[in-house]
Parts: sequence; structure tokens; C-alpha cells
Amino acid sequence: MPKGMFVDTTVCIGCKACQVACKQWNGLPGDPGDFREDPAEKIPVAVNFTGNSYDNTADLTGTNWRHVMFIEQFPENRSGGRWLISSDSCKHCNDAGCLNACPTGAIVRTDLGNVVVRQDVCIGCKYCLPSCPFGVVSFSHLTGTARKCTLCDDRIHNNLGTACAKACPTGSIAYGEVADLKKRADARLARLKSLGHDKANLYGYKEAGGLNVFYLFLDSPTVYGQPERPVVPQGRLVLSSAVTVAGALAVGAAALVAFRERGQVEPGEEEVGK
Amino acid sequence: MSIGAHAPGWEWYYIGLYFFFGGVSAGAYFIGSLAEFFGGARHRGISRTAFYIAFPTLLVTPPLLIGDLGQPLRFWHLLFDARSGFPYVNFSSPMSVGSWALVLYGAMTLLSFLDNLVSEGKIDSAPFARLYSRFPRKLYAAVGSAAGFFIAGYTGVLLNVTARPLWALTDPLVGALFTVSAGSTGAAAIFLVMTWRRVHPAAELEEFERFDRIVKVLEIALAIGIVIAAGKYAGVLFRGPYAVMFWGGAIFLGTMVPLTANWYAHLAGRHARSEAVAVLMACLVLFGGLLLRISLVQAGQL
Amino acid sequence: MGSNMAECHPVAFRWPLQAKTGHGAVLMHVDPRFTRTSALCDVHVAIRAGSDIAFLGGLIRHVLGSERWNKDPFFREYAVNFTNAATLVSPDYKDTEDLDGVFSGLSPDGKKYDNASWAYQREKPPAPPAGKPATLSDLLLRKVPGRPKTDPSLSNPRCVLQVVRRHYARYTPEMVERVCGCSKEGFLQVANTLLENSGREKTSNITYAVGWTQHTVGVQIIRTAAMLQALLGNIGRPGGGVLALRGHATIQGSTDIATLYHSLPGYLNMPDARKAHDTLKEFVVMEAAPVATSFWGNYPKFAVSYLKAQFGEAATEANDYGYDYHPKITGDHSHMPMFIAIAEGKIKGLLVMGQNPAVGGQNARYQRKALAKLDWLVVRDFFETETAAFWRNSPEVRSGELVPKDIKTEVFFLPAAALPEMEGTFTNTQRLVQAHDKAVDPPDEARSDTWFTYHLGKLLKPMYKDTADPRGWAIRNLTWEYEPEPREVAAWRVKDEPSAYKILKEINGYTVADGKPLPTFAALKEDGSTACGAWIYGGIIPEEGKNRAASRKGDAWISPGWGFAWPGNRHIMYNRASADAGGRPWSERKKLVYWDPNADSGTKDPKGNPVPGKWVAPSGEGIDFQVTKPPAFRGKDLALGFDGLSGNDAFIMRGDGKAWLFAPSGLVDGPLPTHYEPYESPVRNPLYAQQSNPVAKVWKVEGNPYHKTADPQFPIVLSTYRLTEHHLSGTMSRWLPWLAELMPELFCEISPELAGEKGIRNGEYVTIRTARGEVQARALVTRRMRPFRVDGKVVHQVGLPWHWGWQGSAHGDVVNNLTPLVGDPNVSIHEGKVLTCDIKAGKRGGGAQHA
Repeated sequence: MPKGMFVDTTVCIGCKACQVACKQWNGLPGDPGDFREDPAEKIPVAVNFTGNSYDNTADLTGTNWRHVMFIEQFPENRSGGRWLISSDSCKHCNDAGCLNACPTGAIVRTDLGNVVVRQDVCIGCKYCLPSCPFGVVSFSHLTGTARKCTLCDDRIHNNLGTACAKACPTGSIAYGEVADLKKRADARLARLKSLGHDKANLYGYKEAGGLNVFYLFLDSPTVYGQPERPVVPQGRLVLSSAVTVAGALAVGAAALVAFRERGQVEPGEEEVGK
Repeated sequence: MSIGAHAPGWEWYYIGLYFFFGGVSAGAYFIGSLAEFFGGARHRGISRTAFYIAFPTLLVTPPLLIGDLGQPLRFWHLLFDARSGFPYVNFSSPMSVGSWALVLYGAMTLLSFLDNLVSEGKIDSAPFARLYSRFPRKLYAAVGSAAGFFIAGYTGVLLNVTARPLWALTDPLVGALFTVSAGSTGAAAIFLVMTWRRVHPAAELEEFERFDRIVKVLEIALAIGIVIAAGKYAGVLFRGPYAVMFWGGAIFLGTMVPLTANWYAHLAGRHARSEAVAVLMACLVLFGGLLLRISLVQAGQL
Repeated sequence: MGSNMAECHPVAFRWPLQAKTGHGAVLMHVDPRFTRTSALCDVHVAIRAGSDIAFLGGLIRHVLGSERWNKDPFFREYAVNFTNAATLVSPDYKDTEDLDGVFSGLSPDGKKYDNASWAYQREKPPAPPAGKPATLSDLLLRKVPGRPKTDPSLSNPRCVLQVVRRHYARYTPEMVERVCGCSKEGFLQVANTLLENSGREKTSNITYAVGWTQHTVGVQIIRTAAMLQALLGNIGRPGGGVLALRGHATIQGSTDIATLYHSLPGYLNMPDARKAHDTLKEFVVMEAAPVATSFWGNYPKFAVSYLKAQFGEAATEANDYGYDYHPKITGDHSHMPMFIAIAEGKIKGLLVMGQNPAVGGQNARYQRKALAKLDWLVVRDFFETETAAFWRNSPEVRSGELVPKDIKTEVFFLPAAALPEMEGTFTNTQRLVQAHDKAVDPPDEARSDTWFTYHLGKLLKPMYKDTADPRGWAIRNLTWEYEPEPREVAAWRVKDEPSAYKILKEINGYTVADGKPLPTFAALKEDGSTACGAWIYGGIIPEEGKNRAASRKGDAWISPGWGFAWPGNRHIMYNRASADAGGRPWSERKKLVYWDPNADSGTKDPKGNPVPGKWVAPSGEGIDFQVTKPPAFRGKDLALGFDGLSGNDAFIMRGDGKAWLFAPSGLVDGPLPTHYEPYESPVRNPLYAQQSNPVAKVWKVEGNPYHKTADPQFPIVLSTYRLTEHHLSGTMSRWLPWLAELMPELFCEISPELAGEKGIRNGEYVTIRTARGEVQARALVTRRMRPFRVDGKVVHQVGLPWHWGWQGSAHGDVVNNLTPLVGDPNVSIHEGKVLTCDIKAGKRGGGAQHA
């Protein structure tokens, strides 16, 4: 039975404990791109202030596998204003663009349903990066490979939950059997709807073949930086190939038309070659 | 908030260049093979030149591809499973199938190249020559052409079958565009080498130009189609350095100018054809082909 | 209110969230900013920083005038039985309504109150017992005052309820809107929600933190909330109460065991050379007499047992248990005046342990420059904090204002052990003491503060062996025996870490004769036969080897088997009030502690028959009351402690056993909270002529200039606060890349309205300036900040999280360069939550705005 996580963004307090727990468990350093060395004290100093609400992480990278986003929705008169907060990571899709694209078989799905990039196999071709419609998998210059959340592959295969779920103080991130988590999520959604949140929605039941890490949102997914209707790009492979073949045939036809024998050899011309 | 599919971070001097050389090689080989199949003795010059071009231009590409990898020494994982050692292919990944196509294509172009050397007496070894004459030339030309087509076009499919907005929206056109462009650049390469080797009867030139007139129109149509399909993401092709590369380099210098010169010469008659101009036009075609690929690959990563 | 629980107490915040998502509890956040707490609450009402008393006073007025409060008999019943609402106040008392913002008793220079006119009206004192007083308790008995006079009908104009009503009469919703800058509708929504969710069947809780404490009226703000909750009948009841979110982990423990200069462990008062504290007798009588008819009547037992714990065998009845040698304070030795004394060269050396005044201190430039006046400075921490490094790279050194070779301070930097590297206990916000184990040895020479203090003492004691100075007696005779048992250190490399168990046992208390731990604080004696470091922890080690702080049996509710909540494992204080005057639960739903008339009380009558009736708590909750005292019991008029308290005197720490709506004593700035403007404010007090707290602690010293009220140079309100990602002055968080990259740089939160006025663009640099200093920060322009309309004029507010300094992996200017030395008069806490400032686009010193 596949394992996954249910992220209830309505109880996320944006504390970022999940980001830190992930780094601690996976031995990830501060993102190299965030730091410059202080010439006087010779230690790295963080310079990655973005000015985007409380989010200085900005994106998932080869060293940031979890990312908390902050969306401020305040009208000018401040009435009914809200601050949407959500943590984000790999969705461990049942139909994974990264896995489909990997040319070495480095990206695999384990028996628990999570998708991992095998670090000893990956060659760092980076083709999985543009193949993920959610912008998750990233390249790390530190390892020369593609890296992303593994759903704490080592932990979950030893009867532990994910590090982020364990650290989350409010239970916004819950780890478990996807089927059980969905029951909890359905109940939560029903409750929110009964309280008048009609735009609340569950993201990940149908997307990309079903996401093993799925979300409860209060607004449209695009507000949370997720594609509204994510497309697993390999679905377009057949048509794309077909049209390319047609192009090839057109070139072939052009060549045949252009390079055909024009009857007898013209006087004055010499044969070349043989 | 808008976070989308990540840019792969491919460098133009690795991947853009690879697309270009791969296209030139495949285009040239294809034309050479057609000349081999359907052409008479007169076209032997074309096919000979083509087969001299295809393999060396292809040989440039593996260092480019390997250089771009984060773990270059593991490049062989593209063909063989890292743990078991068995051959590996992932049919949903253009890159995976393309890796095998490169191997096959490379083998075929090498054979054709050696065949040239044997035919021209540049390899003396008689047993070698005998070995060669065993393999039907037309067979590996056929196989090589098919593989070559793949090489010419799969890189466009590779881009289109991702979630990067510019590449995803321009699906399914980029593969076709690269294929057509490969034909054009391949032809230009053959023409240039023939000129350099001084084996260029006027008739061949005329055929090249006829070919080009058709192919260039296809290119322009596909390029326009791509820009339209890109919709709001076409902006990267209208602003910044890649706009200059795409419109100024690929479309104008690489396509419109040669096409115009081509028609002018065609309408004005053979006597107006100048070798110098033709050479320049061929260079522009090659240059344009290079910039076409660089601009599309890099602009899609902005 | 006055807190940001989600950001500063994220782990605890899961409980309010569970209440919300689980059974629809309403969460309301009343705060100047829209924070991550507000994001998870149902209601957010923005009020101007420093206007909390106006808002809370408005709530009190609304509640007292509401139909519900006046019609539902619960409220009156609770008020009459459990608060001093019915008590009559002295006819000499004059309210702020009479004196335009001050109370009667203010000295002519306006700096000090005499609280005589705030006293209760009382019956005649009871006749003293015959005979000479033999013990300290005997002395206290002779000081027992007469019972307070009351009017249970609550109609006498001098009764507390009417005094309170009159005091807040002008705190109407319109006035709240005018003073706080919030909307009337928002205020009324909060008021009515509170009212609807209080009563027999429902209770409401108010939670606060330093958003309330760090003001010149900090204590009074909290008082207002306590009054409100008492009026709403929410105190002593499950789901009710006033919860103080203490700041650091175990800071509750820190004040319990008294790192505060003015108290001794267990909240006994510190002997004070300025008062009549010359002898133990005088000390106990002066401090305990006013409260002796409450449980504090046991003061003599607490004080003597404390002295026995300090001085051991050397403390005898003959030498007043060493009282004469016990240190006495001579003034306000809290942080701010201490640093002024350092700046004036009066203090030679300083030990700084786990503190960083170079960043965390008010008027930080002043404090950093003061450090240079010390002869020696010892800093113990994990990293080279700004305080440890001030002498070589502080902004004052970089600017040339201080020159290292001219600084004669000898600075010692000693490595400290981190939390998992030592054994001990945490006492957290809800008085819960939890033991924590040592997991790993500290690296190299890093050592815990316990180790350091213990070994420092061991080195010092012999140095005082031969001194003639009487002050040497105290150090020589300090009980200082905490050597670890071999099994306590067997697993570790560090073999000389003192025994945490022995220290805790001394805090718990033991009988002197045999060293056996005391099972409860009820066993304490004033004859020197018991020793006890802090009486409130009594019972944490009820028998040898059993540490209740280490117990870990949880359940879904009170969890009496998890840790130890002082006092006596009582989780909800004053829980007698969860039952009515007759001892019956107010409702089945809110049942906690109640009188079971049939239960065996455990005592026997003279005939030997078991006496029925006792207070019970099926949940296992500790009962904060005398277990066998019937609800109908009438306390004796001449009695100390429990004996004088009646069966419905739930508030056992108050002399009259009632929750104090009106505080006749104990606070130096008034018996009733009053809206005073912060010491620095852009507006005149709309309610009174008295602008700010008349007795606030101010220090008019060079280098500490204050802004005038409504100073046009500094028209903007500034508040300082914390984020989840960093901890206080950043000593533990700015050195970790994982945390540094979450919040890398100092930023200032600014409303778009103010940003537009000043030409400030999001992400670019701004400079904030006060008379004390300047800081530059990145601008974070956000609608979570808003301008307020106060008394008709627009008042802008900006906010600065103050975690940054110049060391570590996240750099930023020190925000406390801006704040002044000014504090609450009761406890000397600094007013860090509100001051005035000016702001402009561009870097400090006039650099360009872009980053």
C-alpha cells in the first residue's frame, strides 16, 4: 500500500521546522547559493533576503528539498485579509515526469510508492529537471546529480515517518498510508466547506496519476504556485514523434525532388569521385 | 506566486552545439544516402562528401554531451544499467532512446566513412577492403539514415516533451523544425566541403539550391508556428540576446537572406550565380542553424 | 493578545489549533500586526502598540454593562464568592476619574505612590492571643488585620465592583476606537465572543507574552486581563485562565529559582537594605504580615527552610539562620540600572552566561560602551557572541569610537555546553517541570553552567577561609555539596559534573536530621528542622530516588502522570473556583474539582468515626485547596494561612482569599489598570491629562535621551519583536546556516501607505532612527502592517525583529541601538514593545536605497 503525506495547509504556521528537519536528517548544508564568505571572519554569511513575505528560500533546489511559501491576500481596507501558508516538496507522483524522463534508470519508484533519485546511478544530465511539471527535482553542484525529497526513503523503510512530519508542530504534515490520509483529508475538506470555505480543495487526487503527497488548499492551486492542471509531459511523446517523422518525410521528399537525375549528363560536365 | 518546471541549466557550448553538430551530421548523411540510393554516378560526389562529413561532425558530440554531465565518468549509465551492467533503455525518455540512436548512427557513419577511405584507396589494406565490400553499402546507408533522422529530430522532441513553458507550448513543432533545419544545414555543409575539395559541377549546385528553396520555406513556416504556439512565453524570443539570435541570426541571416539570394540567382539564371556568394550563403545557413538551436535551448531556460 | 504564539511558541500552539479544528473553538488575535498567529486565528483585530489597557478596559466595561453578565446568575455568583467585587474600598481613595489620570497618594514630586488610601475598609482587628510571641508565626498572628468589609449586594458605591465600573466608564467602544485605532465592530466582535463563551458551560482563555510585559504599564496590562477573566468567571476553570507564555525554554524555572534580583527562590522577597529588614524577624514580619492570612502565612516556614538550605549546619536559631550574612539589595539592581552602574564605573566585573546584552540590551550602544568600563568580563556561550567580541569588532570599534588597545576590560570567553550535553530539568510556561537526560558529552572543554557555577564555588570557598570580613561567612558556609555519585557519571567522559539530582533534592526540601526528602511543602517547619531551596517545588522528589519531573505518563487531558506542575502537581491554579460556593461543579461539562460530601476525608472525629467529605478531582488534577475544608467552613478571624481562609476562599495566595479586581497593595503604580500612553508616543493621552505612567522607571543619564510626546521628529510608532526562525539575540540561531538562510537579514515591516509616503520600495534599504541611534534594514512592504487612526490623526507603525548582530552567519544592525532605558515600575522590565522613531529610504549614513 503506498505511503505518502497529507499536507493540511490550513494548520501550517509557517515555522519552517520541516525545512530544517529535512536538512538535518538528509545532511544537507545551507544552500550554497545563499551564502557569501565574510572576508573578515572567514565564515559564510547568508545574503538571500528576497523581500517576498517571509519566504527567503524561494524555490526547491538541490539542497532545499522542502520549501514553505507565504501568500498575502489583503485588500486595501484590510478587511477579510488572510495569509496563506503552505509547505511544499516532491509530490511523489504516481505518473512521475522525472521518472519517465530519466535516461539511466536512476529515478525509480520503491515498493512504498515513493520516487527516489538513486545517487549512485544519476549522471547529472539534468533532463528530469524540466520534466517535472511542479518544479521539484533540481541539480546539485555539490554532488553533480539531481536531488529531491526522497520521502525519507531510509526512515520509511525502517518503520519511521518522514522527518518533516515528525518535526511539524501542528500536524500540518502527516505521514502514513495514502488511503488513510485521504479519509482524513476528505473529512477536513468537508468541515472547511461547511464553514464556508467554498474554494477549499484537495490537490493531488487526480493530478499526474495521483500524488502520494497531496494538499488541502484554501484557494486555487495557482495561488500556491502549483500548476492548476499539471500535465505529465511524456503524454505528448507519440504526437511529437509523429509530427517529427512527418517533418523528416518532408525533408526526404524535398531531397528526392531536388536531387533527382535529370536525364542525360550535360556536356561539359565531368564525373567526380569514382 | 509562479514556480514552474525547472530549467535544466544546459550550457550553449555543450548542448546547443551538440544539437547543431548532430543536425549537420544527420542532415548531411541523409542527403548523402539519398544520393547513394537514388542518384546516379553523377551524385557520387555528393554522397562521398556527405559520408566524409557525417562521422567527424558526429565525433565532436560525445565530448560535448559528456562535458555537460554532473557526473561525466558515469556517461555509460545511459546505455548500461549501473548496477547490473545489462543494456538499458527507457522508451518514455527521448534522451534514453537517443543515446542508443547515437550509438547506432555513429556505427553507421563510421562504416560509411571507412567505406569512403577504402573506395578512394586511402586505406591500402586489401583484407580490410574485402571486409568492406562484404557489407552492402546501401544497407548501412539505409540504417544510418533512419538513425540519422532520429538524431536530427529527437532533440526537438526531447525539448517538447518537458514542462518548461516555451518548450511545452511549442510542442509538437520543434522536432520537425530541427529535422528540417538539419536537412538545410547538412546540405550547406556538403556544399561547402565540395567547394573546398573542388568537386562542384554547376548541376549539383542547382540541386542544392532547389532543395534549399523547399526546405527553407518549411523552416520559416515551422518557426512562425512555434512563435505563435509559444503565446505569452514567446516574449523571450522578442526581448534580450536570444531575440537577436533567433530573429537576426536564425531567421534573417540563416534563412531569409540565403533564400532571397537563392531565388534571385534562380530567377536571374545560371550566369548570375557566383561561387563566392554561394559559399557565403552556405556559411550563413550553418550559422543560422547554430543560432536557431542555441536560442531555443537557452531561451527556454530563462 | 500581547503575544505571537504561533511564531514564538509553535509547539504549544498546536493545542489551540486542535481546539479550533477539533471542536470549533474560536481563536482571536488582537495585535498591532497581522502575524503567523493571526493567520491561523478566526479573528484578527489590529490595535496600536501600547493601547492594550484601553482595549481590555473597554472589554471590562462592555462585560459589566452587558445583558448577559447582569442576567445570568453565574457571573454574579462567581464575582461575589470568588473575587473582591463586594469588598469596600477606603473612603479616602480617589480614582483616576477624580484626579485626571492619577490615583490618590501620589507624592508631590509625582514619582511615588503611598497606597494607604487604596486600602480596604476593615472590621476591627481580632484580639491578639495572650502571652509573648515565641515564633515568627506568633509575631505574624499579632499583625492579623480585621476582616474586609463587604457589600454582597454590590450596590455600595465604594464596593470594588462599583469602583471598577466607574473607573472604566469612559472606555466605551467609541473611545476604544479612538485610542486603539481599531474598528468598533472589531472590538465588539471580540467582546461579545468572549462573553458568549464564558459562563457555566463554556470558558475562555487569554494568553499573553512579552507583547504585554515589555511596557511601562506591563504589569497593569496583565492585571486588566486577570480582572476581565475574574469577572467572566474564567479563573480556576478548565479552558479558562490567563496563560503567560514565558519566553525562553525554562525561563519559568529561572524566575522560580530566582535569577531575578529582587526575589528569592519560591517568590520570597529579597532582603532589602533600604527597608526595615535588619533582622530575620523584621524581614518576615514586614514581608509576610500583609499576606499572612493567605497561604503566605507560612512565610516563616518558607524563609527559615530556605536559609537552612543555603547555610546548612551553620544556620541556627541563635544566628537567625544566617540571615545577617545573607546578601541584601540596596536598590534596583535589574539589568538596566546595573548597566548604568557599569557605565559609571561602579561595577568592576561581570559574568555573562547565556545572555548577549551587546544585542539584547536596551539602548545597546550604551550597554556596549559600558562593557568597556569593566575591569573584567566573563562570557560563557556556544559561539563568540557580540558581547564576547565587542572589544574587537563592535560597530563602536569599527567606527573608532572605541579603540581596542584603550579598552582595559579583560575579556574571558568560556565555551558552554548545549542542552543535550547536560542533565537537568525544564520548567515551562505552565509551571510544568520536566526532567531531561544528558545525551552526549560536551566537546573538548565546553562545560555546563551548572558545572561552572559549582566549580567556581568550590574554588572560591577556600579563598574566604581566613577572611575577617563578615561577608566571607556566607561563602564559607554555603552548602555546596553536589558531588556526583559514580553511577551518575559512569557513562560520561566528564566525571565532575555536579549531581542534578542532589541539586533538585535540595530545592525540593528535606528533613535536616536524616536527609529524607519532604513529600510536600506542607511538611515545612520554621524551627530549622527542615531545609528547602524553593518551597513551590515541594513534592517533586517525594521520596529518595523518585523524581516526579521524570515521569512520563500522558493522557488526553490533565496528564497528572507527566512531569510535575508546581505547586503540588496542580495544573490549574485556584481550581477550587471550578465549583460553586456550595462545592458543586458549575456544570458537568466543566467539572474539575468539586466537593464530595460522602467521600472519606481521611480524618477522624473525636469519637474515632471517619469524617465524610472532601474535595475530589477524578482527573487526577492536584487540588489547589485544603482537601478536607468544607465549602461552608468559615475561617477563623485570628489565624494564619489556611486556617483563616473560608470554604470559598479559592484564591489562597491572597490575604482575603479572593481574586483581586481592585489591588489595594502589591503594585506601585495603582490599584486599577489605567490607559497610559507608552513613555514615547506620537499622541497625547486621549483619556487623561496624565500622559504616561507617572511612576515609570526612567533614567535620565547621558547617552539615554528620550523623545518628547508627539515629537514631530519621531512621529512613527516602532515595535520590536521576534520571529520563529531566530532566537532572541541570535546567539544560538544566527550561527546555524540552516536558520541563517531562513531569515538572513534584518528587515523592517512597513505598510504600503507609509512606504508610499516615504518613497520606500520593497526589498531596498531603509534607515530607522531615534535619539539613541540608527539602524538600516531591508524594507518589507506589506499590508500586514497598517496605519492607525488615533484620536483623529493618522499614526504609522513599523516593526523590527531584533535578532541581528554583526557576528555569525546572518548579519544585521542591532535593533536595540534604537531603544531607550525605560521600564515598568513594579518589575523593571524594559519597554521594548513600543517607542517612537523616524524612517527614511536609503542606507544608514546616506547610502543608496537599492540593495
